[in-house]
Amino acid sequence: MNRSNPLRHFPSVLMAWRNLGRNRVRTALATLGILIGVVAIASLGMATAALQQQATADLQGLSNEVTVSAGPDNTNHGLTDDQVTDIRTVTGDATVIPEKTNFTTLSARNGVEAPVSVTALTKADAMYNISRGEISNRLQSGGLISESVARQLNLDIGDPVAYEGQLYRIQGILSSSQGLGGSRRELVLPMSAMANEEQYDSVTVLTTPEQSVETLTTDIESRFNENDEEIIRVRNFAGVQENVDSFLGTLRIGLIGIGSISLVVASVAILNVMLMSTVERKGEIGVLRAVGIRRGEVLRMILTEAAFLGVIGGLLGVVVSAVIGVILFEVLLGSPLEAFNWASAQYLVYGMAFAVIASVVSGLYPAWKAANERPVEALRE
Amino acid sequence: MSVIELVDVVKRYENGTELITALEEVTFQATHGEMVTIIGPSGSGKSTLLNMIGLLDTPTEGTVRLNNREVTDFSPDQLTEERRSEIGFVFQDYHLLPMLTATENVELPTMWDTEIDRHDRAVDLLERVGLGDRRTHQPNQLSGGQRQRVAIARALINEPDILLADEPTGNLDQDTGATILDELTRLKQAENIAIVAVTHDEQLVEYADRVVQLVDGTINT
Repeated sequence: MNRSNPLRHFPSVLMAWRNLGRNRVRTALATLGILIGVVAIASLGMATAALQQQATADLQGLSNEVTVSAGPDNTNHGLTDDQVTDIRTVTGDATVIPEKTNFTTLSARNGVEAPVSVTALTKADAMYNISRGEISNRLQSGGLISESVARQLNLDIGDPVAYEGQLYRIQGILSSSQGLGGSRRELVLPMSAMANEEQYDSVTVLTTPEQSVETLTTDIESRFNENDEEIIRVRNFAGVQENVDSFLGTLRIGLIGIGSISLVVASVAILNVMLMSTVERKGEIGVLRAVGIRRGEVLRMILTEAAFLGVIGGLLGVVVSAVIGVILFEVLLGSPLEAFNWASAQYLVYGMAFAVIASVVSGLYPAWKAANERPVEALRE
Repeated sequence: MSVIELVDVVKRYENGTELITALEEVTFQATHGEMVTIIGPSGSGKSTLLNMIGLLDTPTEGTVRLNNREVTDFSPDQLTEERRSEIGFVFQDYHLLPMLTATENVELPTMWDTEIDRHDRAVDLLERVGLGDRRTHQPNQLSGGQRQRVAIARALINEPDILLADEPTGNLDQDTGATILDELTRLKQAENIAIVAVTHDEQLVEYADRVVQLVDGTINT
């Protein structure tokens, strides 16, 4: 061995590497099996991570919301100023946004008509996201309109819309993904637009990070509802996020389980390849043992071969999976580099780890068998 | 003093239901600087005897001593250590590893001893067997005689006391066989080792200091 060769300090690695080079086709096929297994595990894991991230982003706007509306036992069929004040008292630092709602039909200059729901409120900026234009707290004499309606009526920022004989200028276009109600056809106006209505149709309470949505829900309910009477109805969406998370968790386990099967198949292939190659080399291993190579050294050499298959297949699998991950995150979230966040990149690490572990475990039996063959028997081959 | 000594060694095999006696009370010894040739028809137990001398197999009865130490009841791992330090092997089919160069093949028995650098000795041995210019060649780039010389160099890398040769000239033509035997004779003196060779080859007998004939598992003297 050339003295400058650093592998001379790692004889098992040197021998394993040379041995794998002897039958390149077989080595390549075993590696391909591992590659497919890693891609199955890692890309399915990354896919669920992308789905989870997408779902979380969609639900984010709802997870801190408590919606209060009139219950079936409410004789007013709406919420009064006094009740809103009570809600403010009960909820402390939370943002309380009373809303009035109505329906109207907007018409464009070319005669096209579109039915929309109208929401009048203050603090519009706390409730809505816009994709274009601007959003202010009180809206003053401006309005916000959803994307679909704007497109249908050919309206843009600065254009006027009429409601109850009053003109409002469009300030902003609502983002199309706005939680579960994202696709609503909606016109958002300042509170003054419905000044003639005395009662509020609903009150949205946005919790502070320190507050629990469940606790607030209970507090508000117990303040207004007594016995079996449901004066007000209180709803929250905290459970939705939990359900979605739990569903995606189940989905992830299922998908990774399917991916793992392919890695198990790949490791059986490695077992087969290693067994074949040690049986073929029985005489050669006998020579090694005869000239004084220890059983442990033979074992290490063959395990290193198996580990090499796992490492090479694993690394190639990680590269392919990373490319798939980038494409998935681009398609689902529009931000390809998020694929390398730990939430998703961890599956690359798991895939790699599984590949190496599965390969070494598959190499154990062939290595043990080869190392414990009596040299006399092995030399007879 | 003998390097290797077998006293009343018996080896029996279980072959299905049959009990085969391969060696029957064989007593044998070899000393430093001596070449002993074991001859005998096939099935006479030559290979079994060589396996006993090479510590590749253990006897059913009797005693084996290496440098005056009894090794009869050594475990397989202990025997491996003895082979590693005291014994060199030359096989009929050379048994070189195809993916290693000539130098690497020579270094093979000591390759895992990373703290001892045997590179210089390997190069020196290859030069002494006349292969100084073939050091980086792989076995398939060498002739039969050259391969056997690489194998001889490999057998000597660990500075053994005994070199065991199983039909060392069996796959070589007359002239090449003669050069190999000259080589072994020279090394026997230079390294002061015992050489034990098993053969059918008449030529090899001429080079021997002593000939042992084995018939039906017993030594004819």
